[in-house]
Amino acid sequence: MNSLFLLLGDEFRGFVKSKIMIALWVGMPVLAIILHFIQPDTEGIPMTLFTGLFIASIGGLLGAVMLSTSLVNELNANVFDLFLIRPVKRWHILFAKYVAVFLCITLASILSFAAGLVVDAISIGVPAGPAILEVLESLAISLAAISISCVMGILIGILVKSVALAAILSIYLGQQLSVVAILPGIFLENIEPLPISLGIGVAVTIIVLFVEIFIFSKKQF
Amino acid sequence: MSQEKKESIIEFLNVSKNYKDVQALREASFSIKQGDIFGYIGPNGAGKTTTLKILVGLISDYSGEVKINNEFIKNQSNFNQQIGYLPQDVGFQEWRTIDHALVTFGRLSGMSKEELHQRIPEVLELVGLLDARKRKIRHLSGGMQQKLKLAQALLHKPSILVLDEPMSGLDPTSRWQMKNIIRQLAQTNVTIVFSSHILEDVEGIATTIGIINNGVVVKIGDPLELQKELVGGNAVIAIGENLVNYADQIKALSVVADVTFPPSDPSQVTIVFKPDIVLDEGLILLMEFFSSNKIVIRNFNYLKPSLEQVYLKYVMEEPTK
Repeated sequence: MNSLFLLLGDEFRGFVKSKIMIALWVGMPVLAIILHFIQPDTEGIPMTLFTGLFIASIGGLLGAVMLSTSLVNELNANVFDLFLIRPVKRWHILFAKYVAVFLCITLASILSFAAGLVVDAISIGVPAGPAILEVLESLAISLAAISISCVMGILIGILVKSVALAAILSIYLGQQLSVVAILPGIFLENIEPLPISLGIGVAVTIIVLFVEIFIFSKKQF
Repeated sequence: MSQEKKESIIEFLNVSKNYKDVQALREASFSIKQGDIFGYIGPNGAGKTTTLKILVGLISDYSGEVKINNEFIKNQSNFNQQIGYLPQDVGFQEWRTIDHALVTFGRLSGMSKEELHQRIPEVLELVGLLDARKRKIRHLSGGMQQKLKLAQALLHKPSILVLDEPMSGLDPTSRWQMKNIIRQLAQTNVTIVFSSHILEDVEGIATTIGIINNGVVVKIGDPLELQKELVGGNAVIAIGENLVNYADQIKALSVVADVTFPPSDPSQVTIVFKPDIVLDEGLILLMEFFSSNKIVIRNFNYLKPSLEQVYLKYVMEEPTK
């Protein structure tokens, strides 16, 4: 288990050193604010609500593309050879990547949401409690979808050889398949969308993670 | 030789590996003794990297068995802790500095921060990267990255060092340094397995040579033995004065040796002893023979064919797939 935490810390350090953290934690809130003010069709929509929609539309995509392209890149460069010749469990490598990216995007989403709250507080006043709760609920559902996108990104990353193809497939599949976490709330009446979406998000994440860990453990380097 | 008394630390038993319809390794069986410098040579694509990847555990779907320290590696969960590996084509995550890369690999090898604090400067000093330890990997030259690969392989003080084309991308000075490091490590009883397709890299440092061609390990042996085998026995060139004039007398040696007169030089005669005659015994015999026949010999040169000749013999002779 020690190697899992070492790898996780290493992923975070890599994100910091390669400026990915800045792009996510500063870039995402700033982009949300800029888009809110320059897009004419967002007029009248509170920033917090817009941020929720923005995270839902871009968060999963970011996770899938980040994971798939970095995995293809690292597998093509045989980066993992130097890890796997040591007493490192293969699933630790994939799981550390998933956790690192998911947590980074989650934090970026929370920062974007907080930025939205601040903008709203300044421009139209602090949103009412029920409105904030609604947005938080949609944020949680978005995170379930983002989690699915992340594991889809890993699956694409370990199956595909080309970075460009991995990026295209992540945009096609990684993002679109994550909708399964949101669909029940849209199509089924009389259900609580939050627990259903979270349940689907967790279940799909676990199943896909198991599949990719199995594939990765059989991979010959 | 003392080598004969050493125990085998690595054993390959009928190991085969296929990539779809390509047989990368066919029924490879050989052993490597503790403290040996095993030079593994063969043309590009012969199966060297596949063999080494099986040894370090990166390839596990092969047939046959591999033993390290008399135990099957498939039954050892952490056998790779005994092994340091320098891969041929491997990339580092380029955001790392040399220091940071070594800390990560050391920690993943189970070393404590305190151990690494002491060990990292030692290995960087050994490979000549101490002054560059704070530099980012993306700013290193190919040769420096090769040295970093060696540093990470040495970090946890492995008893077996597996080096895949270690001299690749190095300038002549660095190649010389790499050979010296290999020799130094062998003196500390580290077993070294290293591959190369360049014979000069192997010549002079390998204590055992393995030749692989088209996935078949065609020859394993002591370099001198292989060279002797190529000639057919111990061989010397006797240099005198117009030896060709004494050809009839000298041919009397044919009971103990094959005698040939090089057409280009009448002052020389090549004498290849029968396989059962050891060199010292043969030389005494020759000196007595020439002395009793009053044939003046100025010099005896031990005839040693180049490793290249040995290599070409086995690589060219073996049927291709």
